[in-house]
Amino acid sequence: MELIKNIAGYVLILFCVINAILYLSKIKYNNKTFKYFAIYLGLIAAIQLSVTFIGRVLHMQNLFLFHFYFILQFIFLSFFYKTLLKKTWILKILIVGLLILTYQYIETPSIFFVYNAFGVAMTQGILVVYALIYFYNFIKGDTEFLLVNIGLFFYLLSSILIFASGNLIFDLKEVFKFGYRLLMDLNDVLYFGLQILIFVEWLKNYSQVKIK
Amino acid sequence: MVEELFTGENQIVSIVLIAIGLLVFMSIAIVLFFYFSRKRIIQSELEKANLEIDHQKSILQSIIITQEEERQRIAQDMHDAISSKLNVVSLNANILTEDDITQEETNKVAGSILKITNTVLESSRKIAHDLLPPTLQKFGLKAALEELCEEISETKKYQTIYVLDYEEGFLEKNHELHVFRILQELVNNTIKHANATEIKLMVKTEENNLSLLYQDNGKGFNIESAKKARGLGMSGIENRVVILNGTLNIESKLGSGIKINITIDK
Repeated sequence: MELIKNIAGYVLILFCVINAILYLSKIKYNNKTFKYFAIYLGLIAAIQLSVTFIGRVLHMQNLFLFHFYFILQFIFLSFFYKTLLKKTWILKILIVGLLILTYQYIETPSIFFVYNAFGVAMTQGILVVYALIYFYNFIKGDTEFLLVNIGLFFYLLSSILIFASGNLIFDLKEVFKFGYRLLMDLNDVLYFGLQILIFVEWLKNYSQVKIK
Repeated sequence: MVEELFTGENQIVSIVLIAIGLLVFMSIAIVLFFYFSRKRIIQSELEKANLEIDHQKSILQSIIITQEEERQRIAQDMHDAISSKLNVVSLNANILTEDDITQEETNKVAGSILKITNTVLESSRKIAHDLLPPTLQKFGLKAALEELCEEISETKKYQTIYVLDYEEGFLEKNHELHVFRILQELVNNTIKHANATEIKLMVKTEENNLSLLYQDNGKGFNIESAKKARGLGMSGIENRVVILNGTLNIESKLGSGIKINITIDK
């Protein structure tokens, strides 16, 4: 069972890296929205690889990378939605959000060594709102990045709780390893779903260079 | 394994799991909601577009019918007024080429040719005039309408009352043509079908709109059946009013003439 889980974990990371490579390979043929998304995938894949490398090969604490993960996610998905929704106020929200996070890290530097539940909830919450606005536009006819948007909406919304309860369960983990594992596995399943949708989106709309 | 999940401190984990399950469920509900809303909106837009297309088709059809009728009329006019008369001219000219023709006969034939040529000339001028009145092009709508009314008066069959208060340039040139055509069609209808003795035309320019009133005292018609029949060139008038962005109001009863009011916004 443990072996299967380990293999599944590596497959997920591999999938993540493949998606990033697929998107980055088409970056010069597509618009700004696509470029931001491809860069986001690339950075996330790099962080995933580092997490695995530091944790499993160097056997060191890798939780600090999580801060980079959600902050970079916030920055690049904000740019992604800014071009997708064509709303410039998204940039203002990004700046305000980053200022709040900066204040938080300066005020309590110790947060760097635990899950930043507040930061994750805030940034992912904002991104979920953008995804909802996109669904509203979808009614009017936009369908660009629809599958990716559905995937992000699912994953961001449900993983808010997983990450927000991270500290709580992290503390319990020695005693109740089972529950912690279960949550992390659930996160992996949801993340796998997101990656599948990202892959299908690429296959459907971006695998061939469109002739304009 | 399940029991383990719902006892002791693992309860927290189970609550979190349930909450996540709820969130996933909600996400699915939201996505489905947007998906079906879009489907329904597209459906209703499609229906609307189909209605629009049907309407345009019927307009197109009536345009084609009108065009064919007009061609037929012109062909008939040309045949009656020009071709047949030119035949006679040709015959007469043939006589002139014969060798054993006397001077007296020559003069007679030449006189006849001259007479017929003059009527043909007059007819062709009239046909051209009916197709596109030069007055409208040269002197504008007011003059053209005046001419139209005078022509009716000249027939002596109708008592014509007209007040033409049209401010030149109020409408674009091609819109003026539509207005002229509408009134021409109304007059034609009255002459052809109405058995009227009186025609009344009022044109009034106001600050933001132009109002036209046309009235006759003929036998009138039933509006409902006329709408179904689409005869009387009524659909042509309706279409032109639509193009002019105006409103059309027809009042008529059998035996009491017609009253037509058209208001065109600037």
